[in-house]
Amino acid sequence: MPDAIIDAYRDQLWGLIGTLPGLDGVRERALNKFASAGFPSTRHEDWRYSDIKTLRTTPFDQMAAPMQAPDLPAPLTDVAARLVFVNGRFQESLSDMGDLLQAASVRPLANHLMANAERVDELNLGSDSINLLNTALMRDGFVLSIPAGIEIDEAIEIVHVSAGADHAAAHVRHLVEMGEGASATLLERFVGDDSAYWVNSLLQARVTEGATLTHIRMQEEGPAATHTATAIVSVGAGGNYHATNISLGSNLSRFEARVRLLADEANATVDGVALAGTGESHDMLVHVDHRMPNTTSDQVFRTVADARGKTSFQGKVTVAAGAQQVNADQSFKALLLDRTAEANAKPELEIFADDVKCSHGATVGELDDKALFYLTSRGIDPATARQMLVEAFSDEAFARTGNESLADSIRARVGQWMQNHTLEGQAA
Amino acid sequence: MLKVTDLHVSVDEKEIIKGLSLTINPGEVHAIMGLNGAGKSTLANTIAGRDDYEITSGSIEFAGKDVTELEPHERVGEGMFLGFQYPVEIPGVSNLNFMRTALNGVRKYRGEDEMSAAEFMKLVRVKAADLKMSTDMLKRFVNVGFSGGEKKRNEMVQMAVLDPKLAILDETDSGLDIDALKTVADGINAQRRDDTSILLITHYQRLLDYVQPDVVHVMIDGKIVKTGGKELAVELEEKGYADVA
Repeated sequence: MPDAIIDAYRDQLWGLIGTLPGLDGVRERALNKFASAGFPSTRHEDWRYSDIKTLRTTPFDQMAAPMQAPDLPAPLTDVAARLVFVNGRFQESLSDMGDLLQAASVRPLANHLMANAERVDELNLGSDSINLLNTALMRDGFVLSIPAGIEIDEAIEIVHVSAGADHAAAHVRHLVEMGEGASATLLERFVGDDSAYWVNSLLQARVTEGATLTHIRMQEEGPAATHTATAIVSVGAGGNYHATNISLGSNLSRFEARVRLLADEANATVDGVALAGTGESHDMLVHVDHRMPNTTSDQVFRTVADARGKTSFQGKVTVAAGAQQVNADQSFKALLLDRTAEANAKPELEIFADDVKCSHGATVGELDDKALFYLTSRGIDPATARQMLVEAFSDEAFARTGNESLADSIRARVGQWMQNHTLEGQAA
Repeated sequence: MLKVTDLHVSVDEKEIIKGLSLTINPGEVHAIMGLNGAGKSTLANTIAGRDDYEITSGSIEFAGKDVTELEPHERVGEGMFLGFQYPVEIPGVSNLNFMRTALNGVRKYRGEDEMSAAEFMKLVRVKAADLKMSTDMLKRFVNVGFSGGEKKRNEMVQMAVLDPKLAILDETDSGLDIDALKTVADGINAQRRDDTSILLITHYQRLLDYVQPDVVHVMIDGKIVKTGGKELAVELEEKGYADVA
């Protein structure tokens, strides 16, 4: 990697010294590691489907506050609270905490570290360069802590808006702690304008005994954006982590979920939908690590790619030695709407126990001509027929959002995407 | 109602229909009989507008309008219906959503307002009950997990909901037991009116015991070789295609 890029990020780090309590040493360690590793190229196995050439060749400044207040997206469902981040910084005036603070604790990262200097050790350095850079350059994020036994029914919405941020980046870090038996839904949304910005998010979550965290990510970044995100999650006994990632926007996106199942009956479901328009690339990676016996996981991914669009999925399941009675399933299906579209699938199983049930399946196909003719032979116009088939195809992957109105909103988004793409297809 | 004139159709550059003409008047039920490979299904699919079937010459006129160049959904809008020999399973799309979208597609084509969900439910419940289809099956995904007979009944419910002027029923009787055959025949007879036409495509005479055709055609190798009354079907059953044609 060119020295100029490392120097640019080192300069940024100097500017951040002292901004988050206790973090300076951690930042430096992370940056040194980043400097020796560099940004991954497509020769790096985990990055083979995501070519982040822009990041390798151009340094991205920290995002500054936008010239004018950006538009906020309309709600997708009723929410318990809305936290708004603009260009990577929390905006109290645009946020609405509702009654959330009566039930849970939500604090900006800075306040959290101020109050608990020793807890800086809990910040995960991350395992690849993107995470390391996030650790070195993080400026803001929230710390959400749901106390034991508290169940919050409506989603907690976190909106990330980026605007007027050409060649600038937001490195956000969120921490989520679910107390024993607590439950909550986190709805993360990412939107932005057409500037060529980079959002690099890292969320760490600890789901303790009997707790349930539902994590829905709605990625609708602007068309020139690069979106990289990592969720690092640990799940305790009888705990559940349900993630559903929807990749609709950006020019290049990559979401990676690393989940460790640490005790008896811990469960993880990680699902995803990606819709790649012309020239877009959406990559989703999951690594579920079954550390203990009697743990379960399931992954359902559905992707659709239009002309020169690319969707990729890498799903890894590891079962540790002695982790018997593990159940792990994985299903990936991709739909190609055009001959120039691309889908990649790489399931990986690493099993060191002998009494486990693990399955995986991957298919890549086109829209079924017979089904299309059947629908049109009943009076449904071809555009609507295609839309119905794509919606039906992707439906399975957001069946576990646990919220019907949210699922409907996602369904509508998928339908809208399909409408735009069918129209483009006809115009071409 | 339907006028097919000197139709030639190729599939994958192989000619399947080789100069076929057929006229069906309002109020008439016609049956086309023939062995496998005679081109019966190709004819049905071509009239319905399937695009991988290439019309090399000839024309299809429907209700006084040349529909040869129309897309399948437009032909339905004009009042045609094709009952499939092998109804397609569509996971993820409910039967109700499918039928409602279809009906509203047709209404939109005709410049009519969409039917409300409540109105539609009322209509579909009646039609489904007529054909002994449970509400549970209406809620399920289109044809997924349906038996052969249930799929054909589902075709009849769709036909009843869309109420076409011309119904082309491709081997609707195949794979049915006698009870299912009667139910399906009742559905067809209910659609038989002075202002509608029906074209039955079949292998066997047994459906014609329940739905009496006005005209029977024998199709061999892409052409109609003989036309007669309903007695022709009986003759075919007794003597076989080789002797009759």
